[in-house]
Amino acid sequence: MSGTSLRLEIKKNQTLKKIQIMHAESVVRRPLVTGGKTVHDITNDICSRVEEKPSKSWLLAITLSLSVLIIAGYYVYRLLWHGIGEWGLNKTVGWAWDITNFVWWVGIGHAGTLISAILLLFRQRWRMAINRAAEAMTIFAVICAAMFPVLHMGRPWLGAYWALPLPNTFGSLWVNFNSPLLWDVFAISTYFSVSLVFWYIGLIPDFATIRDRATTKIRKAIYGALSFGWDGASKTWSRYETVSLVLAGLATPLVLSVHTIVSMDFATSVIPGWHTTIFPPYFVAGAIFSGFAMVLTLLLVTRRVYKLEDYITIQHIELMNIVITITGSIVGVAYITEFFIASYSGVEAEQYAFLNRAFGPYWWAYAAMMTCNVISPQLFWFKSIRTNIASTFVISIIVNIGMWFERFVIIVTSLHRDFVPSSWAMFYPKPADIGVYMFTFGLFFTAFFLFAKFFPVINMAEVKSIVKATSEKTDK
Amino acid sequence: MESDKNFVLGVYDDEDLLLKGIKDVREGGVKIHEVYSPFPVHGIEAALGYKTSRLSVAAFLFGITGTCLALTLQIGTMTVDWPMIVGGKDFFPFPTFIPVTFELTVLLAAFGMVGTFFTVSNLKPWGKPRIFDLRITDDKHVMAVDLAKNGMSEEEIKKVLQASGASEVNNKNFV
Amino acid sequence: MKNNKKQYWKGLEELTKNPEFEKYADKEFAEHLPINEESEGDGTNRRDFLKMMGFGIAAASLAACEAPIRKAIPYLNKPIDVDPGVPNYYASTYLNGNDFASIVVKTREGRPIKIEPNTLSSLSGGGTSAQAQASVLSLYDKERLSAPQMDGKETTWGDLDKAVSANLASAGRIAFVSNSIFSPSTQAAIDTLKAKYAGIEEITYDQVSFSGTLSANEKSFGKRVLPSYDFSKAKTIVTFGADFLGEWLNHSLHNKQFATTRKLGPNKKEMSRLYAFESNLSLTGSNADYRTRIKASQQGMYVANLYNAIAKKAGAATVNAGTIEDSANLTKAANELWANKGKSLVVSGSNEEQVQVLVNAINNLLGNYGTTLDINSSDYTRKGDDKKMVNFVKDLKSGSFGAVIFFNCNPVYDHAMGKDMEEGLKKVKFSISTSDRKDETASLVKAIAPDNHYLESWNDAEPVSGKFLLTQPTISNLFNTRQAQQSFLAWAGNDATYFDFIKENWKNTNFTAQSDESNFETFWDKCLYDGVFEVKATENTEAAQEAVEIAVDYKASATGSGDELVIYATGALGNGSQANNPWLQEMPDPITKAVWDNYLTVSRDKADKLGLVVGDMSTKLANLTVNGKTITIPVMIQPGQAEGTVGLAIGYGRTSAGKVANGVGQNAYPFISYAGGFQNMAITSGVKIELTSEEYRIAQTQTHHTYMNRSSVVQESILSEYQKNPSAGRAFPMISTYHGKEKPGNVSLWEGHKYPNHHWGMIVDMNSCTGCGACTVSCQAENNVPVVGKAEVLNRREMAWLRIDRYYSSDAPEGDLNAMEIAADQPEVTFQPMMCQQCNNAPCETVCPVAATNHSTEGLNQMAYNRCIGTRYCANNCPYKVRRFNWFKYHDNSQFPENTSMNNDLGKMVLNPDVTVRARGVMEKCSFCVQRVQYGKLEAKKEGRRPIDGEITSACATACPSEALVFGDMKDPNSKISKMLRLKDGENGLEVKEERAYNMLEEINVKPNVWYLTKIRNKEESNA
Repeated sequence: MSGTSLRLEIKKNQTLKKIQIMHAESVVRRPLVTGGKTVHDITNDICSRVEEKPSKSWLLAITLSLSVLIIAGYYVYRLLWHGIGEWGLNKTVGWAWDITNFVWWVGIGHAGTLISAILLLFRQRWRMAINRAAEAMTIFAVICAAMFPVLHMGRPWLGAYWALPLPNTFGSLWVNFNSPLLWDVFAISTYFSVSLVFWYIGLIPDFATIRDRATTKIRKAIYGALSFGWDGASKTWSRYETVSLVLAGLATPLVLSVHTIVSMDFATSVIPGWHTTIFPPYFVAGAIFSGFAMVLTLLLVTRRVYKLEDYITIQHIELMNIVITITGSIVGVAYITEFFIASYSGVEAEQYAFLNRAFGPYWWAYAAMMTCNVISPQLFWFKSIRTNIASTFVISIIVNIGMWFERFVIIVTSLHRDFVPSSWAMFYPKPADIGVYMFTFGLFFTAFFLFAKFFPVINMAEVKSIVKATSEKTDK
Repeated sequence: MESDKNFVLGVYDDEDLLLKGIKDVREGGVKIHEVYSPFPVHGIEAALGYKTSRLSVAAFLFGITGTCLALTLQIGTMTVDWPMIVGGKDFFPFPTFIPVTFELTVLLAAFGMVGTFFTVSNLKPWGKPRIFDLRITDDKHVMAVDLAKNGMSEEEIKKVLQASGASEVNNKNFV
Repeated sequence: MKNNKKQYWKGLEELTKNPEFEKYADKEFAEHLPINEESEGDGTNRRDFLKMMGFGIAAASLAACEAPIRKAIPYLNKPIDVDPGVPNYYASTYLNGNDFASIVVKTREGRPIKIEPNTLSSLSGGGTSAQAQASVLSLYDKERLSAPQMDGKETTWGDLDKAVSANLASAGRIAFVSNSIFSPSTQAAIDTLKAKYAGIEEITYDQVSFSGTLSANEKSFGKRVLPSYDFSKAKTIVTFGADFLGEWLNHSLHNKQFATTRKLGPNKKEMSRLYAFESNLSLTGSNADYRTRIKASQQGMYVANLYNAIAKKAGAATVNAGTIEDSANLTKAANELWANKGKSLVVSGSNEEQVQVLVNAINNLLGNYGTTLDINSSDYTRKGDDKKMVNFVKDLKSGSFGAVIFFNCNPVYDHAMGKDMEEGLKKVKFSISTSDRKDETASLVKAIAPDNHYLESWNDAEPVSGKFLLTQPTISNLFNTRQAQQSFLAWAGNDATYFDFIKENWKNTNFTAQSDESNFETFWDKCLYDGVFEVKATENTEAAQEAVEIAVDYKASATGSGDELVIYATGALGNGSQANNPWLQEMPDPITKAVWDNYLTVSRDKADKLGLVVGDMSTKLANLTVNGKTITIPVMIQPGQAEGTVGLAIGYGRTSAGKVANGVGQNAYPFISYAGGFQNMAITSGVKIELTSEEYRIAQTQTHHTYMNRSSVVQESILSEYQKNPSAGRAFPMISTYHGKEKPGNVSLWEGHKYPNHHWGMIVDMNSCTGCGACTVSCQAENNVPVVGKAEVLNRREMAWLRIDRYYSSDAPEGDLNAMEIAADQPEVTFQPMMCQQCNNAPCETVCPVAATNHSTEGLNQMAYNRCIGTRYCANNCPYKVRRFNWFKYHDNSQFPENTSMNNDLGKMVLNPDVTVRARGVMEKCSFCVQRVQYGKLEAKKEGRRPIDGEITSACATACPSEALVFGDMKDPNSKISKMLRLKDGENGLEVKEERAYNMLEEINVKPNVWYLTKIRNKEESNA
């Protein structure tokens, strides 16, 4: 080893890790893959999950999520059959849980592509063990998110396609490109399809691996088709590398744009509490915040169920916790800034909107948001907490709750008391509000468990490429 | 002898051996048909003398197309075809066109490039790959040498391969 | 069954009993199908039908290449004056009990669909009340009887007449019970009946009795009539619990008169001052400049004290007035009254004779007779005699009546002694009611001779002496009903039709009373066309009144310390006779903004005493016991409620009015007390209130009652300030830019658009608006706005396009936000009509993804329902929250039975064909009555001219009695709106020079086309 590294080695862990984040190529690093895995071990470990019979725990999980999906589906039916009145909305509060859930899910859907794209650009190799699952989560989260803009319409059967700029039989009847809601249509669909492609490109070589290990005809056929006839030729690999790099380059601004545009739904309006220029950065930070939290929640479970401790190591978890702490703090600063700007603006309605958030009828939602989003992540300043599985799991969930409340606070408390006091009203959720939300949970977890069973949960090809450089055995 | 049918395969256990191997084999005057790996090996393009891919150019061109398409769509519908008074804005409210323009640019760039990639690399769901060795998607790197494309005799080639550090040297014939 | 079939006549053929049509009326297909050719009548002949089908299909497939021919089926014989798609207007008169209005009825294809005011009448004041507006829906009420009934079974008119004549002949004493009758011809018809049956005694009562006032006037002037009032001439008005703007006599005329004294402008900087002394916060009280909360039992003393004050100045005899709690405002009022002798007016809602005598005396000392009130042009709309009525009930119970005739009245429900009557009726051999439904009274009588709705009737009226109105039918009978007057004639053995009867009557009276027309037919046609005939006022009334000397004598009744109850009528439901009309049930009470309920209004401190804690529309039930009778009723905390007094509205608690009204609220009539020969709405003793633990939710359309001192929402000032500076009370928001502060209008990314041809706008004069709410019902009728019912209003989903925001002032210091949410106990009240502001920079338009809402070139914010996908983004982004969403399917949906105008075949006939009935899941909102705008423009176009100002106006503006709403084209320099706003063409569009005019929420620069005029109160200092 080089002299520099020797000197580095005697320094404290803290500094070590800092350096390792700054330039991951540093020779000195704690292994990303532990347990002395060989390339072949990796293939075995990952593929066996797909090839073995489903485990009891998996069966239990899928049954649970499926039943939630079906039971909650009843409320989706009611909503579609009877109308949006099934929700607790009213003349004053036209959006509540629907758009809250939408923004919340979109936010969660940010981690995946962010991890794969941005961390790839920054050459953060630790991403490799987690990006597959994270991207899968992104895809499913965005699907859940996309349900709400459709379901929340008064006439979804028309809105589902009238919101697209299609040539039509009504004459020159086009969409309104001034509307942030239309920007959403483009942003969300683009984000979804690009993420999907990104994810799938990554899957192809791994599908090929499963294909070549396949023992049954069906599996060979299916994974054969899924692998697009991948043959692992170096020429293809080199193109493949270019593609992933450029995709990453494209996806990075895309990730940032999605929540920026979602935030414009509010930022471009006139409603006090919505009409806020700080929203784009603040929403993006919030999205990464909640996204990472959700990734952790899921990974910690998958890790345990699939015994992937050697691939998803404490180090991964710690690094993600650090991201959470940073973004959480950014969000906290944003909250405070909003208050300052409101008071500084000198606009009566604006000032009232924010005082009403903190001290009005919905103070409890605001309090929940503050505790969960601003205070709880600060615990990660303690290494003992951020390297502890249990505490990480708990906080990751708290953060997700907090981020839901953030959106609720922004949407409902701003609407329920805006300009004209005569129209001020309260919002009370009805069973359908909760039901439809649960439905998306059912959908999300069903999809995720199916993925975890039939797809390689870890990007084998990528991990293989680093195992030699980082596996403990070769380090010694 | 027919080309693209009869191959000699050199199997390498890890990427470093492979890279060294490629160097030796090429110096040994053997023309390499292609090397197959379970994961991308850094520096292999150089070793094999591949040019860097121009897919990024494709991406750029598709991106531009997206930009134009988006602007045509928005200006065409809102300014030219059917102008409407919306919120007191002009009939050409440029700022509101930016988000959609951006999204369509990215969308077409991404899809265009990936499409190109699939085409040039001949990847398709019904694609039937030629498997030289099942282990190349697991942990082995395989160097394929087309006998027909090489002046040297099979033995000579095998010798070179063994010398280059291949763990095994096999024959692979497709019919 | 056959009768039911005729409920909805299929076009005029059935209406005109066209035999050809009648023949097939019952068939599924109106036109004659050949399939029954050979087997006419006998059951089904499926075979033939199938043959037809088979052939049809073959033929169709043969002719498949040809386009099918579609025929529009025209009238078999089209009535000359009915053009499909073109409305016809008929002058008529709305008559309901003792309520009336001179109106113009809009009909489409023979269906009355809208009531408009008749401006020719000096009694209507160019406006209509909410009840009059809603009455058109009562016409299509399915609960109306479809045929005469005997002993609860349907019968024919022939049989009924036989039975009635027979029974009346043998009855002996016959009671003829009715509300006040002020229709000469009806009276004449009754007289013929009396001539036939000598035993008939007329008993007249009014739901809200004026008996005391009448006999007071008899004492003072020797005639048992009410004077007609003219508030427009009064500079100082003092009211003691008389809600003359809400529910007192001809309130819509009073609204107009009062409003004229409140209008301000560059060349009118004076306005009247209104003092109110009352217990409940009434509409009048909420418009008062000085309001004093008094206990009901003190009203008399307040009047007496005022009398003394005036008498001292006039040097007349004083009375022993007793001591009152708060004399400050009274003294002030006395001085001003005296200062404005002859230009002042004192009114009282009391039904105590001695109090009304004092009131007469005061007005007399002030020389107001002949100017602000006129006993000679008498008001005949109230004639009820409480003594007679009470005696009638006694005799009824004693069984001394042989028969009773109830003429369009429902005393079992709306008289205090209803219960006794119920018993009494058991003793009567024969009883008959002409009620249009099986109401509380009619369900107890032997025979029901259902009367027509007034829109199906001929009639006349003389509400004020010398001022005649005509009612003409605008549709033929929907049911097998017969006009009551016709019945009387029939029973009297007179076979003339009531139409001829009226005509004859007019020939002998009114025709002779005028000299302009020599030919009766032309005279009659003119009257019919106008709907109005007014005898030239006879002069020298003043002289006659100078002489009057009024003897006063007053005994102050002791005020107890116990609770007192004041029963009142709401602006919405009135006396409850139209309770089955969902438009009125869902019309927010002008003061409390509550719908579908009545409740006990209590002061905040009373609520504290009761230990009542109210939540968001949730409160508790209380047991209200008055002299033995108990009801359970929700309690509502009402700012402005006098301490120690509670209020309760009549008109609710119907048990037999129909699906809509039954079981809504509690009946307050039984509580009305009777003492000294007069009914009294104020119960000053024996009132007990116990709070129960039971939760109850009162649906309100507005739950936040103060405007939080938001200067951009409500801008108000006081007269003295206004006189100094016309823009007093205005707020001028400025935006800070890099080059200093700028008007919001100048800070914009966009140029904005020009409106070359028309630019429609509206003025809302918050000074003239009294908050009566007539406009809201008019809007509902014009625009097919659905009724959603109490449950949905509780969900805050009422659909009203036009609402009247009612704000109370708060005593809280500026900045104490939580305290500012609580209204003052003696609040200043502001009414602010709120409809779509038609913003030129509409935030709703920008955000619609499918461009379903956008701006017209005439400045209208238009809504394309069938393009809307219902994202509700527009509603969220509307700063005025005027957009309404169809949460459910409100039409043809059994879940909304209250919405009768869309959920039953008959009710649907009231729908305006020019306005779409909105589907589930779409957004809707005020359109500035675009259908009226388009119609007006077309009419003008046909005549090749521009629309004349005033011919195009919105439904709300037409209905408004006080002309607080002014609609017009801001591009027309001569239009009223342009003049009022004093518009000038500036470099960036129109500039408004009127200092009082402001756009609500100017700071967000959405550029509304609705302009509010600041509220100016006529008082020394503002306590808001």
